[in-house]
Amino acid sequence: MQRRNLLDLDELEAGELRGLLDQAQRFGASPPRRDLLRDIIVVNLFFEPSTRTYTSFAIAEHLVGADVIALPPGSSSLGKGETIADTALTLAAMNVRVIVTRHPESGFPYRLAESFEGHVINAGDGCHAHPTQALLDLLTLRTEFGRVEGLRVALVGDILHSRVARSNILGLQALGAEVLLVGPPTLLPASMERGRVKVLRSLDDVLPHVDAVMLLRIQRERIAAAVLPELDDYARNYRMDARRLELLAPHAIVMHPGPYNRGVELTEEVFDFRGWRYAQQVAHGVSARMAVLDYVVNGLPVSPAPPRPESILV
Amino acid sequence: MNLLIRGGRVVDPSQSLDAKRDVRIENGLIAQISEHLEPDDWGFGETGVVDAENAIVAPGFIDMHVHLREPGQTHKETIATGTAAAVAGGFTSVACMPNTKPPLDTPALITEVLRLAGEAALARVYPIAAITKDRAGRELAPFWRLHDAGAVAFSDDGSTVADARVLRQAALYARDVPGVFIEHCEDPALKGDAVMNEGDASLRFGASAAPGLAEDVIVARDLLICGETGKPFHLAHLSTATSVDLVRFARSRGTACTCEVTPHHLLLDDHRFTDFRADAKVNPPLRGQRDCEALRAAVRDGTIDVLATDHAPHTREEKAGLLADAPPGFSGLEVALGAYALALPDLPLERFVALLSANPARILGIPGGTLRVGSLGDVTVFAEERWTADVSRFQSLGKNTPFDGWTFPRRPIATVVAGNLLMYRGRLAARTPV
Repeated sequence: MQRRNLLDLDELEAGELRGLLDQAQRFGASPPRRDLLRDIIVVNLFFEPSTRTYTSFAIAEHLVGADVIALPPGSSSLGKGETIADTALTLAAMNVRVIVTRHPESGFPYRLAESFEGHVINAGDGCHAHPTQALLDLLTLRTEFGRVEGLRVALVGDILHSRVARSNILGLQALGAEVLLVGPPTLLPASMERGRVKVLRSLDDVLPHVDAVMLLRIQRERIAAAVLPELDDYARNYRMDARRLELLAPHAIVMHPGPYNRGVELTEEVFDFRGWRYAQQVAHGVSARMAVLDYVVNGLPVSPAPPRPESILV
Repeated sequence: MNLLIRGGRVVDPSQSLDAKRDVRIENGLIAQISEHLEPDDWGFGETGVVDAENAIVAPGFIDMHVHLREPGQTHKETIATGTAAAVAGGFTSVACMPNTKPPLDTPALITEVLRLAGEAALARVYPIAAITKDRAGRELAPFWRLHDAGAVAFSDDGSTVADARVLRQAALYARDVPGVFIEHCEDPALKGDAVMNEGDASLRFGASAAPGLAEDVIVARDLLICGETGKPFHLAHLSTATSVDLVRFARSRGTACTCEVTPHHLLLDDHRFTDFRADAKVNPPLRGQRDCEALRAAVRDGTIDVLATDHAPHTREEKAGLLADAPPGFSGLEVALGAYALALPDLPLERFVALLSANPARILGIPGGTLRVGSLGDVTVFAEERWTADVSRFQSLGKNTPFDGWTFPRRPIATVVAGNLLMYRGRLAARTPV
């Protein structure tokens, strides 16, 4: 059996990544056939609480006709001394073909994929990767601008601890976007700068020059860990508010993977901003995950890429 | 048993000897070194002969940093399997760290380790006792009584003595107790829950990581405490460029300190981490390429006194877990000689031998490290032969090494302890307890 997984975006060639986005875009425009994953058993193995990603996967799995088993967090034998390999063997023996997994430790899906005779989809591992989130973000950019290549995208906040940021950096780079990372030094080491990925400290300086801003969630634990002072000090430099919205170019959009902290990463004015794309991101999550399920089980369809619309940007 | 090691190039820095010689061992001691000896020259009892043609004959190698895991963790290693690994790797003596379960912090436990080592009757075992009770970093271990029982040095290895006051008090109290303080230098606060070095690789993985600074600040602190108290300190497994600079600085001020480096810190950087496998996880962590180069330079310029493995065996299951859960460390005894030679191809043989024999013997204050007539009949014979490491052939219970499948330019040929040939070309002989 071919062992296609989706552990992070760096295992896809740029062409495959485009193909996956094409497919997701098609599924978004018109729902796929309900039998795409007929008779395929999918297990959702989440070791971390998740509302958004979990629900999005569950809906995507139903829409492509998979048989879905959800293992509630804490119910797995992994907590009782069973090794990852044992779990993989057990699930494979019950004819499970796909495992969608989220885990608080970086690397868990890699260990699982090593021993599972089926497909593993990473729904978020530690601070490492969240490839389906990055796909839905790329899909949002593509829907907005018709392309990702040549866009200038700012990721703002806790880059160091963000799996969303890591996977997005990979995806944006692969598709030829320019990535600006913006945040304080404890959340964004200067050494993350390389190639077309730049590290910057001043959000105000960056905002007039970007096509899209991706805000990242700030965890309150960072204060107890002496990584950040009080949240207001962070907000002073990095919160998206009415004044900062004014700095954006007319065509620019603002994104957030959710859940957001009102008053920390953003203020309520953002919800009324013409370029606020949170709802579109969530909607794209379902089509992106349907495309990923289809990809790992059935492979990519062989079809020419749709014509690329001309840029609306100068 | 008498033994004649014939035809080899004898390299013994303790007596500035580098010449083709035959070595005769009698009653467990070096009896004669001469240009040509015959087995029946003296004719008393049975004499075995070791062919050392095209090989180098050196004082028995001493690994002053191993974890034998007994008592308490015999699923990882036992004193018997660990000393078998030692002789397989060309080591005649090992000094074992006290982070066993329970830790070696009482005279009775030191006695027990020595008893088990006597039963195993392979490599000599020199126990290192804890600096603090239960290695908890608060109360002092009974240094004098531990020394009486046979402890040759003191260390809370696995952890740093985090409280500077406790370490200073320990160094003052134990100043006149024979036995160096061996420090594991990692600041627990800066280390946190790190699984690897802070650098490009950790940023890419999103893994919790600690900077080289975690080692540097403790090295600086310990060198100051060493200088102020006058207690000799030996810094274990240095891993950063700054650490060796700090050692140079302390020595320029007359501080009596020594230090060691491991094969993995000489050869491997943090890009060894692939797909989140824990096979590259170790404390202190693999650092950057620049650090590896600085450590190799520090061996060449004499800053580093000792090559030591930090042999840290674990089971396959333990090392196969998640990066965050898997225990740190590598099984090092059976690849060390080859790895050192690979890391330091231009190091003169005499220096290579001193770093593995005379120097650790001097630092620990133990016999051996020399082939002078009348000294211990412990000999390591090695050759400039290419070979490929195969973890499945390890004597150690720990099959965890990042060097599996590596090809090395030098290998141990024979291991002789007290005149007993315990290993010859990979085959181990059972030794009759004395």
